[in-house]
Amino acid sequence: MLVMKNLSKVYRTAMIETHALRGFDIHVREGEFVAVTGPSGSGKTTFLNIAGLLEEFTSGEYHLDGKDVRGLGDDARSRLRNEKLGFIFQGFNLIPDLDLYQNVEVPLRYRGLGRAERRTRIEEALAQVGLASRMRHYPAELSGGQQQRVAIARALAGKPRVLLADEPTGNLDSQMARSVLELLEEINAGGTTILMVTHDPELAARAKRNVHIIDGQVSDLVHEPVLRAVDAAAAP
Amino acid sequence: MFGHYLALGVRHLRRNPVLTALMVVTLGVGVAASMATLTVLRAMSGDPIPHKSDRLFAPRVDIRPDDASDPDPEPPLQLAYRDAVALHGARRGVRQTVLYGVAPAIDPGRPDLPPFFSNGIAVHADFFAMFDVPFVKGGAWSADDDTRGGRVVVVRQSLATRLFGSAEPIGQSVKLRDRDYVVTGVVADAWDPLPRFYRQIGGQGAFTGMEDVYVPFATAIAAELDQNGSTSCYNSGDNDVPGFEGLKQSQCVWLQLWVELASAGDAAAYRDFLAGYMAEQRKLGRFPRGDNYRLHDVMGWLDANQVVAEDSRLQTYVAFGFLLVCLVNTIGLMLAKFTARRGEIGVRRALGARRLAVFQQHLIEAGVIGLVGGAVGLVLTLGFLWLIGRQSTQLAVLARMDWVMFAATFALAIVASLLAGLLPTWRAMQVQPALQLKSQ
Repeated sequence: MLVMKNLSKVYRTAMIETHALRGFDIHVREGEFVAVTGPSGSGKTTFLNIAGLLEEFTSGEYHLDGKDVRGLGDDARSRLRNEKLGFIFQGFNLIPDLDLYQNVEVPLRYRGLGRAERRTRIEEALAQVGLASRMRHYPAELSGGQQQRVAIARALAGKPRVLLADEPTGNLDSQMARSVLELLEEINAGGTTILMVTHDPELAARAKRNVHIIDGQVSDLVHEPVLRAVDAAAAP
Repeated sequence: MFGHYLALGVRHLRRNPVLTALMVVTLGVGVAASMATLTVLRAMSGDPIPHKSDRLFAPRVDIRPDDASDPDPEPPLQLAYRDAVALHGARRGVRQTVLYGVAPAIDPGRPDLPPFFSNGIAVHADFFAMFDVPFVKGGAWSADDDTRGGRVVVVRQSLATRLFGSAEPIGQSVKLRDRDYVVTGVVADAWDPLPRFYRQIGGQGAFTGMEDVYVPFATAIAAELDQNGSTSCYNSGDNDVPGFEGLKQSQCVWLQLWVELASAGDAAAYRDFLAGYMAEQRKLGRFPRGDNYRLHDVMGWLDANQVVAEDSRLQTYVAFGFLLVCLVNTIGLMLAKFTARRGEIGVRRALGARRLAVFQQHLIEAGVIGLVGGAVGLVLTLGFLWLIGRQSTQLAVLARMDWVMFAATFALAIVASLLAGLLPTWRAMQVQPALQLKSQ
């Protein structure tokens, strides 16, 4: 589904070269739920931005759903983002002066879907996150957890192949975080691949696979999260 | 998507009402200043008879003595009686008329309406057809009246109403000075060419004072109706013979001649005719400055008479300069508005918006600002025109907005806002989503 080989990203200014990613390899299979962890400045967000076609990489290879994205123009990258990817951000990133219906509608409009199909998808997506009854509310009228659910609905409405989540529970209290995580697990169970950047070990533990990044490189690939094993051992 | 972007543009106006109000007012004031001065300039410099202005000609010949008393290379704007009559009599055009202003007293012969001075003009019958003068009743007098100086007259609709009320005016008698004239036609009040191109010299200026009474030229001369306008005399001895007869015999210029040619191309032949006439007259000792003549079509005639003063043009340039300053300010305000929305742009880009989509959305939003700015500009323009109109009667005539200027106001506002929106929109299009999403 998502393959990066020997990928590097270098930020250059007149004075400094910063290697955000170097020799970066990863292979995320369809239906996986991968948690990406690592210390601050390790390159997690750069990786997610490149995976989400929000940034270009300096060298290496990146195939998304079988398509080589190297050298694609801005229009093609935008179309791929719209059709194959869904985004969930730490700060929700809802548009404040659009109601929930209109927020979820944004990516569907860019895809050029007709009004009837947009309506069907929006209603389904908002129902899936439990907010069908509040579609004419504005983001400011919702709690943080509800806002993140709207962001998830917005991502789901486009029926993406991969859901990219950057600290999706970072701004939520533990109860809301748990509820959002359960929702993500439910979505993953439905077959959507999820790639989630997080600092939270508990959150990472609930993913099917953990990827740890240090200094712009994948340091180890843990197929069975360590904490899940610890939890299992601690269980009576 | 256009309708969607339009709706978003309207919605975004409310997001930051203070910034929006600043942009709209800045744009509106700039547009209003430009449109108010442009409206006046347009009225001044418009073609008053566009379908035939290139076929109507006013000739000028240089009658001045060949001395240093008047170094102006341009010949006088008017003609002496003998030249006007001779050139008219040659009948080189399809139609022609000599004209001069008269102001005969009208005696209605009614106790309730005392005598009053009219604003009149002495013309040949061709005048009415040449200048497409519309009649509400009757028509021009006959060619025979022109030749023998018939006691006939054409009056303006408002004067006919004043004199005869609802009675049939055609055939009625009007006493001008001490003689009775029979009304043959009534000119519609609606006839109000702007500028009043046919009579630039004398009268009440280029924009006001439509005539109430039209008298046959030969009749006015025979009745010695005094000239109401400007007379210029260049030769010593011009005033040797006293009275009206002296004016006719003199080299003083006080008449205008208009000639309608079959086509604009016939002007060259008419110029040859003028040169020939002057050469012939030179043999009699006239026209010592040589072949110094002019033949103006309508627009050339308005230029020669400087109907549009240079400072009017300058005012318009300054107003458009002010609009430019307003635009620069609007660019700054729009930059601030769009910069504040970088986060939203980043989200839209992440969700699949192409750069072109971002460009379209924001340019349409700039257009919406222009539309509202146009509405504000229109109200302000009307206000400015009202203020301009209060300065003088002539300006009051000019400072009127028509549908063309109404539409132009909106068009200017929208074009100006789109121009102002180009840089902010281009900057919005360049937003890197990755940089914005984390900072949201």
